[in-house]
Amino acid sequence: MIKFADVALMTHATFGMLCIIASVWVFVDTLNASRGNVVRIKLMSRAVAGFMWLAFLVGGYWYVTYYYADKALILKGPWPFAHHLVMETKEHLVIMLLLLTTFLPIAASGNLVANKSARNVVLWVVGLIILTGMLMEGSGAIIGMGVKLAVLPK
Amino acid sequence: MKHNDLEKNTISYGLSLAVTSLFSALLVVLKELCDHSVLVWMSKATGHHWMTHGIIDVVLFVALGWFLGTLNGGHGVNISAEKFIKTVVGSVVISGLIIVGFYMVDMLAG
Repeated sequence: MIKFADVALMTHATFGMLCIIASVWVFVDTLNASRGNVVRIKLMSRAVAGFMWLAFLVGGYWYVTYYYADKALILKGPWPFAHHLVMETKEHLVIMLLLLTTFLPIAASGNLVANKSARNVVLWVVGLIILTGMLMEGSGAIIGMGVKLAVLPK
Repeated sequence: MKHNDLEKNTISYGLSLAVTSLFSALLVVLKELCDHSVLVWMSKATGHHWMTHGIIDVVLFVALGWFLGTLNGGHGVNISAEKFIKTVVGSVVISGLIIVGFYMVDMLAG
Protein backbone atom coordinates (compact mmCIF):
# COMPACT_ATOMS: atom_id res chain seq x y z
CA MET A 1 0.00 0.00 0.00
CA ILE A 2 1.50 3.32 -1.07
CA LYS A 3 1.13 6.02 1.58
CA PHE A 4 -0.05 9.54 0.78
CA ALA A 5 3.19 10.92 2.22
CA ASP A 6 5.20 8.88 -0.30
CA VAL A 7 3.00 10.03 -3.18
CA ALA A 8 3.46 13.64 -2.07
CA LEU A 9 7.23 13.22 -1.84
CA MET A 10 7.53 11.64 -5.29
CA THR A 11 5.21 14.28 -6.75
CA HIS A 12 7.49 16.94 -5.26
CA ALA A 13 10.59 15.37 -6.86
CA THR A 14 8.78 14.92 -10.19
CA PHE A 15 7.69 18.55 -10.41
CA GLY A 16 11.24 19.55 -9.47
CA MET A 17 12.64 17.47 -12.31
CA LEU A 18 10.06 18.89 -14.75
CA CYS A 19 11.16 22.36 -13.65
CA ILE A 20 14.79 21.52 -14.47
CA ILE A 21 13.88 20.00 -17.85
CA ALA A 22 11.79 23.05 -18.76
CA SER A 23 14.67 25.29 -17.63
CA VAL A 24 17.13 23.50 -19.92
CA TRP A 25 14.59 23.97 -22.71
CA VAL A 26 14.44 27.71 -22.02
CA PHE A 27 18.25 27.93 -21.88
CA VAL A 28 18.76 26.22 -25.25
CA ASP A 29 15.91 28.09 -26.92
CA THR A 30 17.22 31.43 -25.60
CA LEU A 31 20.69 30.69 -26.99
CA ASN A 32 18.95 30.40 -30.36
CA ALA A 33 16.24 33.02 -29.82
CA SER A 34 14.36 33.97 -32.98
CA ARG A 35 10.90 35.01 -34.09
CA GLY A 36 10.13 31.31 -34.49
CA ASN A 37 10.73 30.28 -30.86
CA VAL A 38 10.24 33.44 -28.79
CA VAL A 39 6.62 32.59 -27.93
CA ARG A 40 7.75 29.13 -26.85
CA ILE A 41 10.47 30.65 -24.63
CA LYS A 42 7.88 32.80 -22.86
CA LEU A 43 5.50 29.84 -22.43
CA MET A 44 8.23 27.53 -21.15
CA SER A 45 9.43 30.23 -18.74
CA ARG A 46 5.95 30.24 -17.25
CA ALA A 47 6.05 26.44 -17.14
CA VAL A 48 9.31 26.63 -15.17
CA ALA A 49 7.64 28.91 -12.63
CA GLY A 50 4.50 26.75 -12.54
CA PHE A 51 6.39 23.49 -12.00
CA MET A 52 8.52 25.11 -9.30
CA TRP A 53 5.52 26.49 -7.43
CA LEU A 54 3.88 23.03 -7.54
CA ALA A 55 7.11 21.37 -6.36
CA PHE A 56 7.43 23.98 -3.61
CA LEU A 57 3.86 23.69 -2.35
CA VAL A 58 3.73 19.88 -2.42
CA GLY A 59 7.23 19.59 -0.95
CA GLY A 60 6.44 22.22 1.65
CA TYR A 61 3.31 20.36 2.72
CA TRP A 62 5.31 17.13 3.02
CA TYR A 63 8.08 18.92 4.92
CA VAL A 64 5.88 20.53 7.58
CA THR A 65 3.58 17.49 7.88
CA TYR A 66 5.73 14.36 7.56
CA TYR A 67 9.44 15.20 7.70
CA TYR A 68 9.68 15.11 11.51
CA ALA A 69 9.60 11.27 11.41
CA ASP A 70 12.39 11.06 8.82
CA LYS A 71 14.36 13.69 10.71
CA ALA A 72 14.26 11.59 13.89
CA LEU A 73 15.53 8.57 11.94
CA ILE A 74 18.31 10.52 10.22
CA LEU A 75 19.57 11.97 13.50
CA LYS A 76 19.83 8.48 15.02
CA GLY A 77 21.53 7.05 11.92
CA PRO A 78 25.09 7.20 10.55
CA TRP A 79 24.41 10.26 8.36
CA PRO A 80 23.12 13.01 10.71
CA PHE A 81 24.63 15.59 8.34
CA ALA A 82 21.81 14.65 5.93
CA HIS A 83 19.61 16.77 8.20
CA HIS A 84 22.00 19.18 9.94
CA LEU A 85 23.66 20.34 6.72
CA VAL A 86 21.77 19.04 3.69
CA MET A 87 18.10 19.44 4.66
CA GLU A 88 18.66 22.67 6.57
CA THR A 89 20.40 24.13 3.51
CA LYS A 90 17.89 22.69 1.03
CA GLU A 91 14.81 24.02 2.81
CA HIS A 92 16.19 27.58 2.65
CA LEU A 93 17.89 27.53 -0.76
CA VAL A 94 14.62 26.32 -2.27
CA ILE A 95 12.95 29.61 -1.33
CA MET A 96 15.62 31.41 -3.35
CA LEU A 97 14.99 28.99 -6.22
CA LEU A 98 11.27 29.78 -6.00
CA LEU A 99 12.01 33.49 -6.38
CA LEU A 100 14.39 32.86 -9.30
CA THR A 101 11.75 30.84 -11.16
CA THR A 102 9.08 33.44 -10.37
CA PHE A 103 11.36 36.12 -11.84
CA LEU A 104 12.11 34.11 -14.99
CA PRO A 105 8.83 34.86 -16.87
CA ILE A 106 9.32 38.56 -16.07
CA ALA A 107 12.87 38.46 -17.49
CA ALA A 108 11.64 36.50 -20.52
CA SER A 109 8.95 39.09 -21.27
CA GLY A 110 11.55 41.41 -22.86
CA ASN A 111 12.44 41.56 -26.54
CA LEU A 112 14.66 38.47 -26.63
CA VAL A 113 15.05 38.44 -30.40
CA ALA A 114 16.54 41.93 -30.78
CA ASN A 115 17.94 42.58 -27.30
CA LYS A 116 21.15 40.77 -26.33
CA SER A 117 21.05 42.16 -22.78
CA ALA A 118 17.57 40.72 -22.25
CA ARG A 119 18.79 37.33 -23.53
CA ASN A 120 21.80 37.46 -21.19
CA VAL A 121 19.56 38.10 -18.18
CA VAL A 122 17.40 35.09 -19.08
CA LEU A 123 20.47 32.89 -19.64
CA TRP A 124 22.01 33.82 -16.28
CA VAL A 125 18.76 33.40 -14.38
CA VAL A 126 17.84 30.09 -15.99
CA GLY A 127 21.44 28.90 -15.57
CA LEU A 128 21.18 29.57 -11.83
CA ILE A 129 17.83 27.75 -11.80
CA ILE A 130 19.31 24.67 -13.47
CA LEU A 131 22.32 24.51 -11.13
CA THR A 132 20.28 25.14 -7.99
CA GLY A 133 17.59 22.72 -9.14
CA MET A 134 20.14 19.95 -9.65
CA LEU A 135 21.57 20.75 -6.22
CA MET A 136 18.06 20.36 -4.77
CA GLU A 137 17.54 16.99 -6.49
CA GLY A 138 20.93 15.76 -5.27
CA SER A 139 20.16 16.98 -1.76
CA GLY A 140 16.89 15.06 -1.81
CA ALA A 141 18.80 11.90 -2.72
CA ILE A 142 21.25 12.42 0.18
CA ILE A 143 18.38 12.99 2.63
CA GLY A 144 16.67 9.83 1.37
CA MET A 145 19.93 7.92 1.79
CA GLY A 146 20.21 9.29 5.32
CA VAL A 147 16.84 7.74 6.14
CA LYS A 148 17.68 4.48 4.36
CA LEU A 149 20.99 4.01 6.17
CA ALA A 150 19.28 4.73 9.49
CA VAL A 151 16.78 1.89 9.08
CA LEU A 152 19.14 -0.71 7.60
CA PRO A 153 20.18 -3.50 10.01
CA LYS A 154 23.60 -2.76 11.52
CA MET B 1 9.58 51.99 -20.47
CA LYS B 2 13.12 50.72 -21.05
CA HIS B 3 16.34 51.47 -19.17
CA ASN B 4 19.64 50.66 -20.86
CA ASP B 5 18.14 47.86 -22.92
CA LEU B 6 16.18 46.17 -20.13
CA GLU B 7 12.48 46.45 -19.32
CA LYS B 8 11.41 48.29 -16.18
CA ASN B 9 9.84 45.18 -14.63
CA THR B 10 12.94 43.10 -15.35
CA ILE B 11 15.11 45.59 -13.46
CA SER B 12 12.61 46.20 -10.64
CA TYR B 13 11.90 42.56 -9.87
CA GLY B 14 15.49 41.48 -10.58
CA LEU B 15 16.83 43.94 -8.01
CA SER B 16 14.05 42.86 -5.67
CA LEU B 17 15.23 39.27 -6.15
CA ALA B 18 18.79 40.33 -5.28
CA VAL B 19 17.70 42.12 -2.09
CA THR B 20 15.23 39.41 -1.05
CA SER B 21 17.83 36.66 -1.51
CA LEU B 22 20.29 38.43 0.77
CA PHE B 23 17.54 39.23 3.27
CA SER B 24 16.44 35.60 3.27
CA ALA B 25 19.97 34.34 3.90
CA LEU B 26 20.46 36.81 6.75
CA LEU B 27 17.06 35.83 8.18
CA VAL B 28 18.26 32.20 8.23
CA VAL B 29 21.26 33.22 10.33
CA LEU B 30 19.18 35.49 12.57
CA LYS B 31 16.45 32.97 13.33
CA GLU B 32 18.94 30.17 14.02
CA LEU B 33 21.06 32.34 16.32
CA CYS B 34 17.97 33.77 18.07
CA ASP B 35 16.13 30.47 18.40
CA HIS B 36 14.41 31.56 21.62
CA SER B 37 12.96 34.73 20.16
CA VAL B 38 12.91 35.12 16.35
CA LEU B 39 12.54 31.41 15.61
CA VAL B 40 9.78 31.03 18.20
CA TRP B 41 7.90 34.03 16.80
CA MET B 42 8.25 32.73 13.25
CA SER B 43 7.03 29.30 14.34
CA LYS B 44 4.01 30.74 16.12
CA ALA B 45 3.08 33.11 13.28
CA THR B 46 2.03 30.38 10.83
CA GLY B 47 2.63 27.12 12.69
CA HIS B 48 6.08 26.55 11.17
CA HIS B 49 9.08 28.89 10.95
CA TRP B 50 9.80 27.77 7.38
CA MET B 51 6.30 28.75 6.21
CA THR B 52 6.68 32.17 7.81
CA HIS B 53 10.10 32.52 6.19
CA GLY B 54 8.70 31.68 2.75
CA ILE B 55 5.72 34.02 3.09
CA ILE B 56 7.94 36.93 4.23
CA ASP B 57 10.28 36.37 1.28
CA VAL B 58 7.52 36.17 -1.33
CA VAL B 59 5.72 39.25 0.04
CA LEU B 60 9.00 41.20 0.19
CA PHE B 61 9.88 40.16 -3.38
CA VAL B 62 6.54 41.29 -4.78
CA ALA B 63 6.27 44.49 -2.71
CA LEU B 64 9.86 45.60 -3.31
CA GLY B 65 9.64 44.82 -7.02
CA TRP B 66 6.50 46.94 -7.28
CA PHE B 67 8.06 49.76 -5.21
CA LEU B 68 11.28 49.89 -7.26
CA GLY B 69 9.15 50.22 -10.38
CA THR B 70 7.54 53.37 -9.01
CA LEU B 71 10.85 55.20 -8.47
CA ASN B 72 12.03 57.99 -10.78
CA GLY B 73 8.50 59.09 -11.55
CA GLY B 74 7.39 55.57 -12.45
CA HIS B 75 10.38 54.89 -14.72
CA GLY B 76 12.06 52.59 -12.22
CA VAL B 77 15.73 52.20 -11.33
CA ASN B 78 18.31 53.26 -13.90
CA ILE B 79 21.10 50.68 -14.07
CA SER B 80 23.20 49.22 -16.87
CA ALA B 81 22.45 45.68 -18.03
CA GLU B 82 25.95 44.51 -17.12
CA LYS B 83 25.78 45.92 -13.60
CA PHE B 84 22.26 44.55 -13.20
CA ILE B 85 23.33 40.99 -14.09
CA LYS B 86 26.36 41.19 -11.79
CA THR B 87 24.15 42.43 -8.94
CA VAL B 88 21.51 39.71 -9.32
CA VAL B 89 23.90 36.80 -9.90
CA GLY B 90 26.33 38.00 -7.23
CA SER B 91 23.56 38.40 -4.69
CA VAL B 92 22.09 34.96 -5.34
CA VAL B 93 25.51 33.26 -5.17
CA ILE B 94 26.54 35.12 -1.99
CA SER B 95 23.17 34.35 -0.39
CA GLY B 96 23.59 30.66 -1.17
CA LEU B 97 27.10 30.67 0.27
CA ILE B 98 25.88 32.39 3.45
CA ILE B 99 23.28 29.66 3.98
CA VAL B 100 25.60 26.74 3.18
CA GLY B 101 28.45 28.30 5.17
CA PHE B 102 26.28 28.95 8.21
CA TYR B 103 24.98 25.39 8.42
CA MET B 104 28.45 23.99 7.72
CA VAL B 105 29.94 25.98 10.60
CA ASP B 106 26.92 25.20 12.80
CA MET B 107 27.32 21.46 12.15
CA LEU B 108 31.09 21.45 12.68
CA ALA B 109 30.67 23.42 15.91
CA GLY B 110 28.31 20.71 17.10
